[in-house]
Amino acid sequence: MMAEKKKATTKKTASKKPDTKKAAPMKQEVKKQAPAPAAKPKAAPAAEKAAAPAKAVSTTQQGDARVGVFICHCGTNIAGSMDIEAVQEASKRIPNVAFVDNYKYMCSMPGQTVIQKAVHDNKLTAVVVAACTPRLHEPTFRTATKDAGLNPFRFEMANIRDQNSWVHMHDRVGSTEKAIDAIKIAVAKAALLQDLHPKSVPVEKAAMVVGAGVAGMQAALDLAAAGIKTYLIEKDMSIGGRMSQLDKTFPTLDCSQCILTPKMVDVGRSENIELMTWSEVHEVEGYIGNFDVTIRKKARGVMTPKEAEAKGIVGGGCNGCGDCDGVCPVIKPNEFEVGMKPRKAIYINHPQVVPLIYTIDFDSCVKCGLCVTACGPEKRAIDLEMKDEFVKVKVDTVILALGYEIFPIEKKEEWGYKRYENVISSLEFERLICASGPTGGHLVRPSDGKTPMKIGFVLCAGSRDNTGTGKPYCSRFCCMYSLKHAHQVIEKIPGCIPYLFYMDIRSFGKMYEEFYYRIQDEGAKFIRGRVANIIEDPKTKNLHVMTDDTLLDRPIDMEVDMVVLAAAIQPSDDTNRTRKLFGVSCSMDGWLLEAHPKLNPCGTTTAGVFLAGVCQGPKDIPDTVASAEGAASAASIPIHMGEVELEPYFAQCIEEKCAGWGMCVNLCPYSALALVEKDGRTVMQVTEAKCKGCGTCGGFCPGGAIWMQHFTTPQICAQIDAFLLGGEQ
Amino acid sequence: MARVKGYPEALEKKLRDQRYVREDSNPEFTKNVKSISRTIAHMCYQCGTCTGSCPSAPRSTYRIRKFMRRAVLGLENEALTDPDLWLCTTCYSCADRCPRDIIPTDVIMSMRNLAFKRDIVPVNFLKTVQAIYSSGHGVPNNDVNRAAREKLGLTRDPPTTHMYPEYIKGIQTILNHYKLKANADRIVKEREG
Repeated sequence: MMAEKKKATTKKTASKKPDTKKAAPMKQEVKKQAPAPAAKPKAAPAAEKAAAPAKAVSTTQQGDARVGVFICHCGTNIAGSMDIEAVQEASKRIPNVAFVDNYKYMCSMPGQTVIQKAVHDNKLTAVVVAACTPRLHEPTFRTATKDAGLNPFRFEMANIRDQNSWVHMHDRVGSTEKAIDAIKIAVAKAALLQDLHPKSVPVEKAAMVVGAGVAGMQAALDLAAAGIKTYLIEKDMSIGGRMSQLDKTFPTLDCSQCILTPKMVDVGRSENIELMTWSEVHEVEGYIGNFDVTIRKKARGVMTPKEAEAKGIVGGGCNGCGDCDGVCPVIKPNEFEVGMKPRKAIYINHPQVVPLIYTIDFDSCVKCGLCVTACGPEKRAIDLEMKDEFVKVKVDTVILALGYEIFPIEKKEEWGYKRYENVISSLEFERLICASGPTGGHLVRPSDGKTPMKIGFVLCAGSRDNTGTGKPYCSRFCCMYSLKHAHQVIEKIPGCIPYLFYMDIRSFGKMYEEFYYRIQDEGAKFIRGRVANIIEDPKTKNLHVMTDDTLLDRPIDMEVDMVVLAAAIQPSDDTNRTRKLFGVSCSMDGWLLEAHPKLNPCGTTTAGVFLAGVCQGPKDIPDTVASAEGAASAASIPIHMGEVELEPYFAQCIEEKCAGWGMCVNLCPYSALALVEKDGRTVMQVTEAKCKGCGTCGGFCPGGAIWMQHFTTPQICAQIDAFLLGGEQ
Repeated sequence: MARVKGYPEALEKKLRDQRYVREDSNPEFTKNVKSISRTIAHMCYQCGTCTGSCPSAPRSTYRIRKFMRRAVLGLENEALTDPDLWLCTTCYSCADRCPRDIIPTDVIMSMRNLAFKRDIVPVNFLKTVQAIYSSGHGVPNNDVNRAAREKLGLTRDPPTTHMYPEYIKGIQTILNHYKLKANADRIVKEREG
């Protein structure tokens, strides 16, 4: 590290002279490119009528710039790994620097006061704070700059913590040198900063929630209760999601359906919620406050009373009577019951669906027409020729609540799922133990219908697994639901013993550890060992669970009647497609990426798009609901504000240089550019609200006619010069 | 005195302080095991999948999980002097299933390497070395096998050093280069006299 650094330094010195000569004319040239600077910074708002690039622009000539440098210790985070005094002394010698100070915590109120006082006392024109990252504290220092009487965009940050002191913790000399370079670069830009004025755009007062599991429903209910029109989009036929498949919930043992159905009914009834089931997001355009979302309403073959009325069939449409279900000749496995119960091609997958409208599975429908006859001439709800429809809605903010699915645990071959009949997944167990499930709540062995008396629960099945087959993360609720499963078998089957094979029992929530205590007291047996493999006895179909009792230090061959795999979870299959439509990133494991894991867990890097529930990472029901309420609150803020402020980093066209070829127009990923006629010439025009300031057009324009605000060519050249020429201008 | 023979010693052994103390742990051992085995031996979280998969464990006191623990903690002496170290059949079942993607078998092999440097190696392993030196085979062919091979329509000897004894010299050169034969002979002599 040090050697490299030294090398770089020598190179710098050696090449200084020729470079200066070369760089100087180049810089002159780029300077000329700048749109005519307005004379006084304060005149900027008044100059609105002037030519586009000039209106928000008011360049400080480099010579007049008075930059203040403020170095933060961040406690010992920065000060512990570099020589702050040396950094301060070196900063004083940088051209245009009029004032330098350091403080223990620059972001604290006293720290900000230091900045404000220095700006007043020294008539500073720009502020450089050498501290952490813009992501963490740019807003803080922008506000401090504004409070000091400067335009908030006359602030530049030098990152000397995350990219310096933290990585070069043991290289005091090197990190000091690097910090000085970072400050030189920041000062070079700060000297050329211009006043910028953020744009505000009005909002629509409508929101969208994608996914109607418990997270999506809660978010939609909250938004609706706040008086916001909410579109709730669900790809399945009914709302309710995974929670509606569960029998009971831990640690209170509430019946899942009993606590969920009132919410489902509320969603169905709420006037502010427009529920769109059997639908998915097809296309997204626009930005916060102005999203144009196209929704594909998949053909469900059955009309709701509303849709029927729109077609002139008064009093018609599906009323959920189920006459069609009785006559349909096609039999398919019911996905809601994890394939353990049959359904027809026209069906509802469980009795409590909301909305209570039948749906035709057109992949298996033979179009015999028996259901049409059964439905009768009054309702006339069934239309076998129905096609997908596309609906366009305008919303301000979007909440993604895309949920999860079970990891295909048959991939871990050693446990024999889908090979051995009596090895089932935890979701199958939920349906088997549920009173409304395929067996009416009688837990039976799939192989012979007998009641199991010894059940093995395999925890961490596919979770905490770094082999590549499986998931490296903890799925977070398997420990707790397995405890609940143990309770349920003890309660329902007298004499039945549950054996829980675990690595660690993670019972971290409110009343969770107490639940663990209770289940152990009830007679569940806990064996600390991850299951190595399972072998089936071909005659009895019993299963031999092989593991190591790590606490007893003895290998185990435990014969049980049935095995339940607490399988890992993964993002639902549509997550990747949907997230791309909204420009949301995902982390390495596929879960959607929040703006900040601690301080902004519901936000994303796309303004106006929020995350709720498990799509951001595994969560149990309480955490999911809390996250949904957080997302709803965050998503309602711009709507209640009535307008959203956009960062003024948009591109500007220097019209006298623009050749009007429009090569930039097709390059723009946000469709923000267009060609217009102006004074008899074709020139490019930027729709500022759409521009994200990515710089694609500015970097490409062969005529140098595009001015990227806050990242102008002169500013960037000055930064490069500052680094390569060691701060000499 | 003769009547209590063995008891005082056994009692003393039982009452000895068995806590492991900081000095027992050698961080270099963890590093050495990692570099020889080329696997992330320090990442074991003691789930027990390895022992659960092990064909040797149900029939012996061999616990591969314990050796992994010793690798993590750097308990060099305890690992290398445990005779169980030599009970691994190198079937690699543990490596197939380890959720942390460690190769426990290779950890065992690296410990055997380190043990051999201290002359800790069972005599039967050394006799295998001697057999390879003299015949090119760990388990040389014998008359029963020869008869069986003939019955199956095969040559009496396989097309190895048995059929081409002139190549035994090559094997001997390799073993001599690493002083394996000399060391084996020396240790066997020390043990058996």
